[in-house]
Amino acid sequence: MSVLSDQPQVGERGRLRSPRTLDVVGLLARLALGGVMLAAGLLKVAKPDVSARAVQAYQLLPFDLATYVGYGLPILEILLGALLVLGLFTRTAAAVAGVLLVAFIIGIASAWARGISIDCGCFGQGGTIDPSQTRYLEEILRDVGLVLCAAWLVTRPRTAYSLERTLFA
Amino acid sequence: MASKTSDRRAKIEAATPKSRGGANRIVVATVVAVLAIAAIVGGVIIADQNRQAEVSKGGSSLPKGASAMGAGLVANTSAPANVPTLDIWADFQCPACKQFEDAFGDQVNEMAQNNQIRLRVHMLSFLDKNLGNDSSNRSANAGFCAADQDAFLPFFRGIYAIQPAQEGTGYTDAQLQQVAQASGINGAGLDRWKKCYDAREHNQYVESVQTQSAKDGVNSTPTIKLDGKPLQLQGLTPQTFADQVKAATK
Repeated sequence: MSVLSDQPQVGERGRLRSPRTLDVVGLLARLALGGVMLAAGLLKVAKPDVSARAVQAYQLLPFDLATYVGYGLPILEILLGALLVLGLFTRTAAAVAGVLLVAFIIGIASAWARGISIDCGCFGQGGTIDPSQTRYLEEILRDVGLVLCAAWLVTRPRTAYSLERTLFA
Repeated sequence: MASKTSDRRAKIEAATPKSRGGANRIVVATVVAVLAIAAIVGGVIIADQNRQAEVSKGGSSLPKGASAMGAGLVANTSAPANVPTLDIWADFQCPACKQFEDAFGDQVNEMAQNNQIRLRVHMLSFLDKNLGNDSSNRSANAGFCAADQDAFLPFFRGIYAIQPAQEGTGYTDAQLQQVAQASGINGAGLDRWKKCYDAREHNQYVESVQTQSAKDGVNSTPTIKLDGKPLQLQGLTPQTFADQVKAATK
């Protein structure tokens, strides 16, 4: 029994697995991941020095490299976010975003494990905060949710209302 | 059933325009990739150039009490070797720094006057970037010009006394001069202060302290360390503070 069968699908299970439904799930994953990426980038891009400080505060990368990563990251996030929201090169954009998010999770977990009290700097701000203000678990869970969106899109990049379907028809 | 499926596929294929109707995927991918790399590399270069321009602005002279670029300014250089060093990282625009100053300023000042501690101040200016103004940088410059006239601590305390209630309002040049005058700088000294401030004689030192602090992992204010160990500000009282200073005295 395949979802590609042209037999009319009957019942809830069939409808839930229809390609159309999966396309809509893909669309939601694309908009969630892309929307968060776009917002994160836009909130930081006008203040590159604040972004650089947020990356430096993790004390993971060499100082100068952290500075450059801080300058470049918001732009990369905007580009990936825009591609995902538009639905252009969905699989590639989702793969890069997924790798980025895994790196963010490692960074946050590492800061948590080393006992550094920082804001993740995900949406601006960043830097040292009071230990009682840290929200490492929340930040990691959010990123894990986004990694799942990325994983879905890498596995099944076909989504509803994507630009690539119109453009490369 | 099989023929029905293939029949339908054929219809779909016939109805779907072939690639000649759509854009070339490789061409579009190349354009997007080139634009993306240009945007990222360009953005990093512009941000870096802006930063380089900032750190090289103004003069490169060290204020009185600072031993090197990036090092804190020692407010009481006459402190004997056996007393602990109290390092304070502060930003003139930081409300929490004002809170610390309001609560412990008198005590810290007295300890420094009596040489019970070696007070070393690292004046930061990163809040300018968060707040989108330049008041941290200008007030730090003004403070170090005051240090040249032996009035750093009075200036430091005077600034926090007039800190605006709304973070980000900042300080005008006139306010900075008023604080300098209220710190006891006048006559020829005031002329020298003005010349120093107008030329931003210590600006490269201001920037070097900011960079060094970030390298040292100090990126929030106020950060207070007693002989290199972070002082817990939560629950700190004048008594527990004095006890810790006493315990650190050799």
